[in-house]
Amino acid sequence: MDYHRNYRPCPTFFVEEDYGMESRIRQERQAKQEHDKQMARERQYVMADELSNLTSEQLRDDVLSHMLEMDNQTLPDVESIDIQTEIQWFMRPYLLDFLIEAHTAFQLLPSTLFLAINLLDRYCSKRVVYKRHYQLVGCAALLIAAKYNDKKDRVPTIKELKSMCCSLYDDDMFTQMEWHVLQTLGWSIGHPTVDAFLQHAVLDDAYDPEVEHMALYILEIALFHRDFVAKLSSELARAALALSRCILNRPQPRHTHWSSQYDSMTLVALSQQLHQPSTVVARKYASAHYSRVSKVMEHFLNRQASLATYARCTPPVETPIESKPYNGEIGLATPQKSQQLTAIPHGYLTPPITPDNEALVHAHAQMANHDMTRGIPTVHHGCSPSPAPSAEMQYMNSEAYQQQQEAMYMAQQAALQQFPMAPTHMGMGQTYQGGM
Amino acid sequence: MEHFRDSAAPLKIASNLVSPGHFLFHSKKPSGPPASKVPQKMDKSQQPSSFQQLEKLGEGTYATVFKGRNRQTGEMVALKEIHLDSEEGTPSTAIREISLMKELKHESIVSLYDVIHTENKLMLVFEFMDRDLKRYMDTRGDRGQLDPATVKSFMHQLLKGIAFCHDNRVLHRDLKPQNLLINKKGQLKLGDFGLARAFGIPVNTFSNEVVTLWYRAPDVLLGSRTYNTSIDIWSAGCIMAEMYTGRPLFPGTTNEDQLIKIFRLMGTPSERTWPGISQLPEYKSDFQIYATQDLSLIVPQMDAIGMDLLNRMLQLRPEMRISANEALQHPWFHDLPQIQAKLQQQHQQQQMAGYGGMIPPQPAY
Repeated sequence: MDYHRNYRPCPTFFVEEDYGMESRIRQERQAKQEHDKQMARERQYVMADELSNLTSEQLRDDVLSHMLEMDNQTLPDVESIDIQTEIQWFMRPYLLDFLIEAHTAFQLLPSTLFLAINLLDRYCSKRVVYKRHYQLVGCAALLIAAKYNDKKDRVPTIKELKSMCCSLYDDDMFTQMEWHVLQTLGWSIGHPTVDAFLQHAVLDDAYDPEVEHMALYILEIALFHRDFVAKLSSELARAALALSRCILNRPQPRHTHWSSQYDSMTLVALSQQLHQPSTVVARKYASAHYSRVSKVMEHFLNRQASLATYARCTPPVETPIESKPYNGEIGLATPQKSQQLTAIPHGYLTPPITPDNEALVHAHAQMANHDMTRGIPTVHHGCSPSPAPSAEMQYMNSEAYQQQQEAMYMAQQAALQQFPMAPTHMGMGQTYQGGM
Repeated sequence: MEHFRDSAAPLKIASNLVSPGHFLFHSKKPSGPPASKVPQKMDKSQQPSSFQQLEKLGEGTYATVFKGRNRQTGEMVALKEIHLDSEEGTPSTAIREISLMKELKHESIVSLYDVIHTENKLMLVFEFMDRDLKRYMDTRGDRGQLDPATVKSFMHQLLKGIAFCHDNRVLHRDLKPQNLLINKKGQLKLGDFGLARAFGIPVNTFSNEVVTLWYRAPDVLLGSRTYNTSIDIWSAGCIMAEMYTGRPLFPGTTNEDQLIKIFRLMGTPSERTWPGISQLPEYKSDFQIYATQDLSLIVPQMDAIGMDLLNRMLQLRPEMRISANEALQHPWFHDLPQIQAKLQQQHQQQQMAGYGGMIPPQPAY
């Protein structure tokens, strides 16, 4: 002990040779402590897993049946959203991008995102939402989902949300909208999210993070498409899991358990949406934290495309995707990006929110000048965490755009130009994909 | 409102279908939105004024509970008033409590009838219960002790309520006598879901700031964040002993003191009796070593079969604790039908004798 007292390192003049011995000992000790801590943590995880498994064993069937029941009770109704007068489907991806970025910025649990979007869509199934309030509804949904799911210290404050919206809304508008969403949904917030079902489905299998991340990525892409808005979470989760296993070349489990029963139509439909993911989602899943699954998916799709061109001398892209028979090999059934679809730029046509906002008018002027380097007009002031999505603005040359005088109606008119017919199921889904 | 022009269209747009755009629109003025002064309502057209507010029944962590009377039907209700924080909107406790209680409809769980919102408070309208178990024991029992038949009946109802929560993926996380409510029919129901939350399969990690200290399970006290349904069972075990003795089983003052009180009775665990315990954050190698005591010394009133059930609920290791569904199958409950019949009889006699002065006239919550 004397040794330590005498050779206490001097903070102002540290010469390594003099204290080399002690610093080495200290380093070793630190390394050992680190190691012990790591071991303790690992053992805690093991203990936690055992405990969790025990509960799962006892309760999984009861919990699952409750979740399935709740799933049915908390479905949005797309047909009601179709007849919204102001907000249109093509606006939704902007809002989702914003919510996904906010969700990531606040480091909320994965299920919070899926819950928030369920709340948003359910609210839009029940109330007429003004365009200028769409983002507010999204924020309120995120706030409620975080309060329901996340730890208290993670829940965003209204101040933070307000600044994310560039102070577009006053503080009390958030609390009022929060209340109104809660009231409209009859306070039933306990929607079982896709990721909860996903966890349920992989319960019996060895932990495979890549498969889970890929499934989550697919599910997050699916959030953007009308076709899946009213699909049961349980169905989406199982189909996404099966598709994820296909992409990653993992065997499908053979057992006849709930988790392995997926609807192949849903799977095919999901596989058709993988080509043009929102850049925000693709970037999110390109991180190591998510096993870089968006890159993996990109490679997979490229390989599929080249295989397809190689196999048939003529490019198969002209054939409509839907008519392609599903031959059981999901890899091949993955549709190729059709010419027609790529021809439509996945431009961010117009913001979902606040048409009469100054920022938008400004952005509109920019659009007219074909100067669209900044992206979503509402983030024009640069105070939102959302970086501008890469917008291909060739579309802005179209007549629809040039004819528009008022920013107010621009969005609606563009939508009408693009979706001239009543949104039938297929038609809407497809054009929407293009509109992404 | 000027955007309302298309509203005649297919959406059956009644004014109440529209998002609160009108008052949101005006709310930029500092005076505050006029519409928000109008009480919002839920399913039925009930407003705060449809309830006559009577005496205060209790004060919780984030709410005050009053007795109330429905002006139209005369029915008694409990009104739980939650003050709204104007800064951050609806508290997360309220969001969880309301949404979970709407999912949990069961005879052993207090019914939530309605949610009423006024300018600055949220009022939850609950089924009226005469008093909580704590007060029931104080007023009804012999120095707080309840007779074995009542304990068995209450324990069965408590476990039924817990089992229902767990089957529906809800952890109560704050079971204690103050949160168990008793009515005149001798029914016991779970109340106060302010700390409750839904869990996933597999069970996720949570905060360990849960459950009132005296009823908090040793694994949670040791800092485990991956507790599961077994934490509610530990609380139920503590409550079972308390109903017999009239005193809390482990009245600790701090986290550490609570652990010591538990170990003094249940024995200090070691790596041998609880593999992995030394890895828990709050574990200390210098815990005083106690031998396991015989629980029947502390709870002499309990029969041997009941003691077996209590022992299974008060296992230090969470994975060894009996589940609520298993507990309901325990042989201790085999004579429950006879006991309930007897209690029913007593109950009727009491009613005829006008409660024979056993129950004070003014019920408490």
